[in-house]
Amino acid sequence: MSADTDPMTTDDIAECWREIGVSGDRSCPELDEHLHCRNCPTHAQIARKLLDRPLPPGYRDEWTRHFARPDEKGPEGEEVDSVLIFRIGEEWLGLPTGICREIAEPRPVHSLPHRRSEAVRGIVNVRGELLICVSLPALLGIGAAAATRGAERIAIFPRLVVTGEETRHVAFEVDEVHGLHAYRAHERGAVPATVGRAAASVVETMIPWNGRAVGCLDAKRLLDLIDRSIA
Amino acid sequence: MLFLMFQLGRDRYVLETGQVEAVLPLLATKQLPGAPAGVAGAISYRGRPVPVIDLAVLALGRPAEPRLSTRIILLRYPSGPGRDDLLGLLVEQAVETIARDAADFTTSGVEAGMPPYLGPVASDERGLIQWVRGEALLTPEIRDILFRQQAAEP
Repeated sequence: MSADTDPMTTDDIAECWREIGVSGDRSCPELDEHLHCRNCPTHAQIARKLLDRPLPPGYRDEWTRHFARPDEKGPEGEEVDSVLIFRIGEEWLGLPTGICREIAEPRPVHSLPHRRSEAVRGIVNVRGELLICVSLPALLGIGAAAATRGAERIAIFPRLVVTGEETRHVAFEVDEVHGLHAYRAHERGAVPATVGRAAASVVETMIPWNGRAVGCLDAKRLLDLIDRSIA
Repeated sequence: MLFLMFQLGRDRYVLETGQVEAVLPLLATKQLPGAPAGVAGAISYRGRPVPVIDLAVLALGRPAEPRLSTRIILLRYPSGPGRDDLLGLLVEQAVETIARDAADFTTSGVEAGMPPYLGPVASDERGLIQWVRGEALLTPEIRDILFRQQAAEP
């Protein structure tokens, strides 16, 4: 969309963050509580106001055409499943969304005394909740290669993924999280024999994503494997 | 429990997300001549005709304003025993979801005389939020008009 047809105007937006917020002189009293403008409800409210703009020309017709088209991806009524795609070393894996609880920034792992198992890394504090942090590379037998791949990309952030059933949560560290990916049942493929034995026991199926094959973990078997490693 | 929030006028209402199939942007609706007030028309969703009702007309007596934040919520509407049909709801300010406990909602105290789709209320720091019962949105007459034809097909 060219600039002159873009109805977005900044005239009626009070840019408090540029005046008294973090991009201004930091005199806003709310900063004491929220530390950064991005945490402030006022900032969120102004951001939502952007959605109060009138419709750009052609917007309605374009979306109408888009949704009128039949969904070519697969037959109607086919099961759609979604996974959280993350990377460990060179491996991209998928965690079923149903057992994905939270993605947090990595934090210090406190090791447990008299615990010499490779699979259990220790205890992490996630918003006041002490969780056991397991090492997925050790559990699945994936080499956590100190990969320098992705040098062409600017930023890669390691993350802490919290998983588990409704009440019992466990955390593990990953090198990168892509996000959620929805796929259809017909995209599922068999797990190749080259996948390591430990990994093969919990990798349920392979799905294509971004030109790669992603191993989707089976929720029950993964949690069982984690439980056994903790016990 | 996750709820999808929207506004009618200045007040905030929520629908349970379990009833929601999808949230669509504001699409062009095909007018349905002779349809009762509140029926905004029909849209084609993946090639399937879906009737759309304008909640702003039903509740406020004026059509929803065409803005980016005005959206069509596709609801799984129980149109008959054992069957669900999609029903589009044209609402304003459908930009937020909130997670609340179902037990947080209590009766508002003025149930008598209210439209049947308005349910209990919950409060937060900005005021009260009212639960909209998707299945009670249509009066039996409108429901018959909208879904009778589809039900007649084999």
